[in-house]
Amino acid sequence: MIRFILSRLAFFVPNVLIMTFLLFAVLSGWLGSPASMMLGLDASPQAIHDLNRLYGFDDPIIQQYGRWLWAALHGDFGRSFATQQGVTSMIADALQITVELSLWAITLAALAAIGLNSLGGRRLTNFISTFSVVCITIPNFMLGATLIFVFAIYLRWLPTSAWVPWSDGIVDHLLHLVLPIITLSAFYFGSFSMIYRAEYRSVMNQLFVRVAKAKGISDTRVSLQHVLPNSVLPVITFIGISLGQLMGGAVVTEVVFSLPGIGRLFVAGIRGNDYPVILAVGMIVLTGMMITNLLADIVLARINPQVRLS
Amino acid sequence: MRSRSWQRYLGWTLVCAIVLIAIFAPWLAPFDPNMSSSKVLAPPSAANWIGTDHLGRDAFSRLLWGARVSLVIGLAATVVGMGIGIPVGMFAGYVRGKIDLAIVQVIDIFISLPAIIMALIITAVIGVSLPNLIIVLGLLKWPIIARIVRGQVLVLREQAFVEAAQAVGCTTTRILSRHIAPNIVRVVAAQFAIVTSTSIFTAASLSFLGLGLPPPAADWGGMVQSGFDFMFLNPWLSLAPGAAVTLTVMSFYMIGQTVD
Repeated sequence: MIRFILSRLAFFVPNVLIMTFLLFAVLSGWLGSPASMMLGLDASPQAIHDLNRLYGFDDPIIQQYGRWLWAALHGDFGRSFATQQGVTSMIADALQITVELSLWAITLAALAAIGLNSLGGRRLTNFISTFSVVCITIPNFMLGATLIFVFAIYLRWLPTSAWVPWSDGIVDHLLHLVLPIITLSAFYFGSFSMIYRAEYRSVMNQLFVRVAKAKGISDTRVSLQHVLPNSVLPVITFIGISLGQLMGGAVVTEVVFSLPGIGRLFVAGIRGNDYPVILAVGMIVLTGMMITNLLADIVLARINPQVRLS
Repeated sequence: MRSRSWQRYLGWTLVCAIVLIAIFAPWLAPFDPNMSSSKVLAPPSAANWIGTDHLGRDAFSRLLWGARVSLVIGLAATVVGMGIGIPVGMFAGYVRGKIDLAIVQVIDIFISLPAIIMALIITAVIGVSLPNLIIVLGLLKWPIIARIVRGQVLVLREQAFVEAAQAVGCTTTRILSRHIAPNIVRVVAAQFAIVTSTSIFTAASLSFLGLGLPPPAADWGGMVQSGFDFMFLNPWLSLAPGAAVTLTVMSFYMIGQTVD
């Protein structure tokens, strides 16, 4: 096991370095010079030149990347061009919100999908398999808008949007999160259900399940103790990928409900050509995604020894 | 799979309806979609079925015209994605070995990147316009197609008829295009519908975030976003185009799931 982890880590570090360098090169190369991006189209060449000198944008890319990485490893992602705030603290604030929202949504979706599909009767699971199509195809902005209209405007049961920190009261905090969590988890509920159901069906047909049933074990116990552990692997892989992707923020959901998470920060950065913010968020997304993939691999290897050998 | 046949009928019916609406939008729409009037944010009425937007334009007419934008982006992006994905996937699956391994690595990385973030970065890099949006979405979708095509080719290449073709001395190009390609048509057709569906989904999300086609294009995602501020006055400004996107995405998805 330790050997497996070490061999994965040996690949992981150079991979991260290569990928982050590529992203750095793409962003700083293709975007044109960050200086002209900040100053706009009609900036004088002199002004662009001065700014390039100031920030070191005309050094070779590898040197710029080295400087950026060194600073980033020391927790310094530079200053936002738009607000002159430190990017590190902006990201730290936003990340808390995104991580909380994502964890809630994924946990809820996974528990609901696995629980309902394992314990529900035939009618319920048939309904879920149709319902999953809706969950997967409804865009987050549509689901969010509908939920806001029904629950916040029409029924007035829940607040429309905005972020209320824990310190302002746990109940208020959670009430403001109900609709965003539902919105975000719909897609994952649909995907987890489909993946789990397909695997569940094929495991259900295997001999050991029939033996368990023949021994007189109750359906619920067969479902939970015999079938579930054998059909949950693909869901775990997918949870890993999903969490990695959510590091980039649940962009649309955050915008719909005005939650100041990573996704909204990123959209604001893109709209305002805020180079350090785009770069920092892009890098964090990329690294976060690679870390969660690594963790998912390790969890899989822990559960299923075959993975370790191949 | 009895339960699936209604999905197929529903999917095809909706897609046909949406295509017809897109084609005949100029004749179906009661008003010019870009004509402003002094009736700003009027509630739904006999003349303006779902009201007017903040510039006094008829929301229903814009809704009908929006079908064009969505379909063009969705279908064109899929064609671009297929154009890259099919050859890459076929090549990787057929040659195997180290080249295949390298391609699979690239595909895996592309697939696990969050689509919306990548789309935002690329649109920021190359700017927003119709051709650019199509290219961005095509670039995002090709790895999915390549992965599926590769999987199919890996199996097919071991079959006797391929071996026979090799023994007769067919060139690789000929084997791929004449012997293997006809056998992956069905899978590719199903993927075509699914990728169209996800492309429309991503395009609508992008334009909801303000990175879609620049105004005054009648674009469903953008309409949801601009109607969002007037949710209290007239929720249909947001909900109607939102429902249109959802139905379009869903119908293509259902077709893709039931092709076999």
